[in-house]
Amino acid sequence: MSETVADPPQSVLRLGRREFAPSEPLIMGIVNRTPDSFFRPGLTWDESVAMERVHQVIGEGADIIDIGGVPAAPGKQVDAEEEIRRTAGFIAAVRSAYPDVVISVDTWRHEVGRAACQAGADLINDSWGGYDERLAEVAAEFGAAIVCSHAGRQHPRTRPFRVAYQDVMADVLERTQLLAHRALAAGVQRERIVIDAAHDFGKNTWHSLEITRRLGEMVATGWPVLVSLSNKDFVGETLNVPPEQRLAGTLAATSVCAWHGARIFRVHQVPESRHVVDMVAAIRGQRPPARAVRGLA
Amino acid sequence: MITAAALCPAAPLLARELTGADPVVPELRRACLDAVISLAASAPDLVAVVGAGTQTRDWPDVAGLDLSAYAPSLGRVPGNTASVPLPLGLAAQLLDQAGYAGRRTLHTASESASLDECMALGKRLADLADDVGLLVMADGSARRGLRAPGYLDDRSAPFDAEVERAVRTGDLGALLAIDPDLARQLMATGRPAWQVLAAAMAGLRPTGKIRYWNDPFGVAYLVASLSVTERAR
Repeated sequence: MSETVADPPQSVLRLGRREFAPSEPLIMGIVNRTPDSFFRPGLTWDESVAMERVHQVIGEGADIIDIGGVPAAPGKQVDAEEEIRRTAGFIAAVRSAYPDVVISVDTWRHEVGRAACQAGADLINDSWGGYDERLAEVAAEFGAAIVCSHAGRQHPRTRPFRVAYQDVMADVLERTQLLAHRALAAGVQRERIVIDAAHDFGKNTWHSLEITRRLGEMVATGWPVLVSLSNKDFVGETLNVPPEQRLAGTLAATSVCAWHGARIFRVHQVPESRHVVDMVAAIRGQRPPARAVRGLA
Repeated sequence: MITAAALCPAAPLLARELTGADPVVPELRRACLDAVISLAASAPDLVAVVGAGTQTRDWPDVAGLDLSAYAPSLGRVPGNTASVPLPLGLAAQLLDQAGYAGRRTLHTASESASLDECMALGKRLADLADDVGLLVMADGSARRGLRAPGYLDDRSAPFDAEVERAVRTGDLGALLAIDPDLARQLMATGRPAWQVLAAAMAGLRPTGKIRYWNDPFGVAYLVASLSVTERAR
């Protein structure tokens, strides 16, 4: 099929009890248990509101719920105990309400990963790129999946300061694959390892644009690729817009990543993102239209 | 001679793959399959398929359904080297689905074929064997409503109603009276195939059974079975 993108050597992805083919793009809906995340701060700080939000994003087509207890940006300190208090009980509640939905915990701490997996999490989203090496051991112990990210050797909750790379994509490829192999060695199943370039983490806007443009190089490694683009600063700086005006830019970046073959999209706005990834999957020839009649009657 | 015939539309959306995730018209596909199963059950010596095409000619019976012109990403049927016009491909698929494994011949009548040309083809098909089953792929007007492919033409309703009546009552001679110009104006692409049918069954008074008769997208779809009883032969 010359009209479609060449299929990279991607294989099945296992998350919890679910199994996903390479042709199935997945939407990961963000539900933060924080009072101070950058986008719509405090939206789901209240637990009952957070559960309402879970119902909503699942209804809107999210495949995965990503639950985090600590914002990425610097700010008031949140220790492991408090992070567990914010996330583990809530994960258990979501698991109980949705036995089959894939639950992800966004953390860099193995203690939190352990508590989350005990509560029913299927995926550890280590957005700070292997800062705590024991996180992979926890994933292995619970048969969970893990996201191996490139945070540019930044410490958690720090902003990039004059970061420079000879070749940012080369660095991303080297780091994410190193982490993926470490996770394998720690005993995580191959089909449960995902890589993420981590836009904005340890990167300036130019770097994030570059990894978006070259995302196909990550897909070509064969590891399933997650992208977290939603309303981030690289979108804001590129378009000179505040967080609440970054949806169009986010969706543009989403469609480029989808075209390159990214498989998981971590997002705030689920219905719009679902439409974008389903549309791109159809353009790639991997998803039939929902209903085609025009010109065919 | 023709001992049984089936009429089905030749709309691309009869191909299940083309409508995407939604089957859209499962009842239409079911009616077509039933008509073809019934045709196969009459155990003819061969099934002759006729539909409209850009020219009047016979086609080799090697090709299956090729949707690549309608949905490039669906590609060609593996191993399919020759492609036939869509009406014939759809018919071939229906025959396969009906489990018909006997001899089949494929024919198109030109969209602009004259009545004489259609009659000649019809007579030739009737003479292909002692017992020929005819599968006619033909559509009525595509101008049956404001949202129809050809918008609304008020003449389409009586035009299609007359075709339906002729088939239902077995009065196939009436199909020979269809004005090719009017049919073209009404975007009734089935006209030459209907006239081939009428010529092929000339002198017979078949029993008609309408299986589907509707226009969900502004195009008249008619699915029917025609059978000739011993007494009428």
